[in-house]
Amino acid sequence: MNQFLRSLTPTQQVATLFLIVFGLLVIASTTALFLSFRERRNPVHDATWQAELAHYRKLLGTTWFMVIVFWVGWALGETVATVLFALIAFFALREFITLSPTRRGDHRSLILAFFVVLPIQFWLVATARFDLFTVFIPVYVFLAIPVASALANDPSHFLERNAKLQWGIMICVYGMSHVPALLLLSFPGYEGKSAFLVFFLVFVVQTSVLVQHVISRRSQRKPFAPNVSRSFNWTSWGIGIVVASLVGALFSFITPFKFGQALAVSFIACIAGSMGHLVMKALKRDRGIPNWGKKGVGVTGANGLLDRVDALCFAAPIFFHSIRWYFNV
Amino acid sequence: MLAKLTGWLLLGIVRLLTGAQARWYGCPPKAEQRIYFANHQSHADLVMIWAALPEELRSITRPIAARDYWANTPFKRWITTEVFNAVYVERAATAPASAAPAPAAAEPDTPPAPARDTAAGPAERIEPSMEPLLPLAPAPQTVVDVAPEAFDEIQGRLDLPAPPPPAVAPPVEPPAATTEAAPSEPAAAPASDPLAPLVEALRSGDSIIIFPEGTRGHTGEPQKFKSGLYTLATMFPDVVLVPAWIDNVQRVMPKGEIVPVPILCSVTFGAPIRVEEDEERRPFLDRARAAVIALRDV
Repeated sequence: MNQFLRSLTPTQQVATLFLIVFGLLVIASTTALFLSFRERRNPVHDATWQAELAHYRKLLGTTWFMVIVFWVGWALGETVATVLFALIAFFALREFITLSPTRRGDHRSLILAFFVVLPIQFWLVATARFDLFTVFIPVYVFLAIPVASALANDPSHFLERNAKLQWGIMICVYGMSHVPALLLLSFPGYEGKSAFLVFFLVFVVQTSVLVQHVISRRSQRKPFAPNVSRSFNWTSWGIGIVVASLVGALFSFITPFKFGQALAVSFIACIAGSMGHLVMKALKRDRGIPNWGKKGVGVTGANGLLDRVDALCFAAPIFFHSIRWYFNV
Repeated sequence: MLAKLTGWLLLGIVRLLTGAQARWYGCPPKAEQRIYFANHQSHADLVMIWAALPEELRSITRPIAARDYWANTPFKRWITTEVFNAVYVERAATAPASAAPAPAAAEPDTPPAPARDTAAGPAERIEPSMEPLLPLAPAPQTVVDVAPEAFDEIQGRLDLPAPPPPAVAPPVEPPAATTEAAPSEPAAAPASDPLAPLVEALRSGDSIIIFPEGTRGHTGEPQKFKSGLYTLATMFPDVVLVPAWIDNVQRVMPKGEIVPVPILCSVTFGAPIRVEEDEERRPFLDRARAAVIALRDV
């Protein structure tokens, strides 16, 4: 079996991987479907059971969405993948800005963020200008946006408004742009397989969030920061991180890393991802909403996108920079 | 063909920028004859509500567009007629408004004409009130009710032209004008009456979208509704009146900006309202406005 997999070309290997993932997802979804037919005698139990199942199906839906996005990205090549992630960043930023009230004076800065900063950042990624794309937003944009705001002649809540906009750019554009950037990292002897790296990151981060979620549901422990998240506690967080890191380590054969290295990088990615998820929860709580969808009622497909990618937005830059620094690629 | 393509393209852009969500709260999207009335904050409102309607309703629903803005270039005119299938209304902008009373004042033997003109006159209005059509409205109190507002509008106009003295248009004048308008010059009345195109559209069975505030508001609460909605409602009692709240569009493109920014917007449609038996104009308009505002928080 192993011999057979090694004999495949990189493209065939990636295709096999996607085939396996889709197969697993189909199994999970079918199970969920059949489980939903089952009825509990006790109506109270039945209600909670159904609610839990609905939640589980939502998570599954998220996973389906992500996998399909990555599959399309991989199938159509690096440039298309970058454009795809640029679009995701665009929609995520749109959601972020929608729910962070802006003022009339922010209009020019917003135009700058959406139509100048975002395309430039992704263009820098697509053309592999690593040294510029890592500093473009934190250095140049963060100093330019306040200038645009100041020129709008509206000083009220100046710091607040700029912080909102810059934070939105940081999460949605900067964080997201590091996912396609992974495709461009060239490890020696790993050519043509960098799609695995993206898959690895997403898979590991999603696993940690999922495991954490399931365990906190089961264990009913006291939440650590109840005002921010009612489900976050250190025990389930720790278990989630450990499980996901081990899973990452087991998948080291698809990465350029050795077992221990894979364990370490997935550990880092999981901590960043789960903490990012928590941070975004705090932001949502501040806005008084349960999720980024428009008042919980999503009609267009783009709604709630930020919920799906928030962990990734935090994990990607940290993952990217730590492996780039350590392996010097 | 080209119009259809442009429509799709425009729809794509609107969806990309705003999401163009429709939220049907008080009523389902249904192919019956309706008057949608909404708050008005931006030129993009027209496009927004058009994009939010489902495809099959879009073809039978005609938005109204101010002729001075939407027909001032060939491209805008083409897009509003071919793509939106809009109904133009005259919103007497400042220049035409000051020009219009001049010929009317030149013939002082017909006082009704200037009176009607003034009713249609004030600047910055999309949908002037409907005093000329009032004979069709049943209740005589409405005519009494008209007087103060009509007087206000006359007052508002007076600083533009010097010739007509206040005596020409006392509060009693508008009723005289309205009673005379229908019988004496039936052919001329629809031409000068700003609501005539809407009446025509409704007669032919189309649904329409109107913005009863008249002007674009700034933010927050909509302004007082103009009386056009009431007149149309009483003229067409069978048409369903659906309130709508357009959210966030002013953030996409505030007054004075040209480049829109992408921010999610939504149009919330509420439960239909109707004019009750013997309900007067102002209470009805206030109720309609309240129905629109109530949709902001659902």
